[in-house]
Amino acid sequence: MTPNNLSQKLYPAFREGIIILAVALFIAIIFTLLRFNNMPLFGFSSAALVKEQQAKILSITLSEAYDLYAKNKVIFIDARDPFSFEEGHIASAINIYPEDASLHASSLKIKADQGFIFVTYCDGPQCPLSKETAYALIQRGITTVKVLVNGWSIWLKAGYPVSKGKK
Amino acid sequence: MKLRNFPRPFIPLLALICRLALAIIFFYAGIEKIINPGDIAVAIYNYQLLPDFAINVSAIFFPWLEVLIAISLVVGIFKRGAALLSSLLFMTFATVLTINLMRGLDISCGCFGASSGNINWFYLVRDLSLFCMSVFVLIYDRGWRYLFSFQDYKK
Repeated sequence: MTPNNLSQKLYPAFREGIIILAVALFIAIIFTLLRFNNMPLFGFSSAALVKEQQAKILSITLSEAYDLYAKNKVIFIDARDPFSFEEGHIASAINIYPEDASLHASSLKIKADQGFIFVTYCDGPQCPLSKETAYALIQRGITTVKVLVNGWSIWLKAGYPVSKGKK
Repeated sequence: MKLRNFPRPFIPLLALICRLALAIIFFYAGIEKIINPGDIAVAIYNYQLLPDFAINVSAIFFPWLEVLIAISLVVGIFKRGAALLSSLLFMTFATVLTINLMRGLDISCGCFGASSGNINWFYLVRDLSLFCMSVFVLIYDRGWRYLFSFQDYKK
């Protein structure tokens, strides 16, 4: 096929394509205006969706978490910032801030296949970081994640093992 | 009805088969998404590439575009435009898939409605194959009339 031949075919194709796009847009708008689907053209709220999906993440109690820790079946994930982590964290925990979840996903998947359960925690009953890290990990295919609400404070208060430093 | 020039025009025949296959795929994918736009909006959000205001529009618009492409490909009206849009769509899908596979996201593909499997490299190969089919149709399709004649020619 010569370039001239190709351009002869492409020009009408562009024109026809634009007509199809316009008709599709028209139908989509009519479909929405007549409310055949219960969805506005604009107004998607990612914040509401994330909140709803985060609410579905299971939480774990302190005694359950410690029980798993004693059996060496759990990996604690500290979702706080690195400075707080260095000052003190649950013994053998790893530090994964929500944005860094993708960096750890593949290694955690191997651990998940070995039967480990992941427990994320941060500090304070309203702290969102533990849920955000848990959500980010679930999105990357790691399903056995639970949240220990207010984890750092209650773990410390209970006098369970903690450590300091980067590891 | 007589088959004209058969089997010589093998490429136009193959292009016609590809065209019909693409039409079936688009029609099925489009209808599945039109039934459940809310789930498709969530699937599009999970790709984490579009801003909030563009998500619902895409979830409503793209399924209809797919159905219209399917109708155009079957009926033959604006079929070149449909083949061009089909190539562009599959190229876009392949790019979006690649970005999210590289990111390591394990999310629903949303390719054929909400119940599609999670994204993987096979889906990328599939999209690229369908892209090649679309380009093939765009260049070589000559329609039904090239292959079939409704008149009996006298020898």
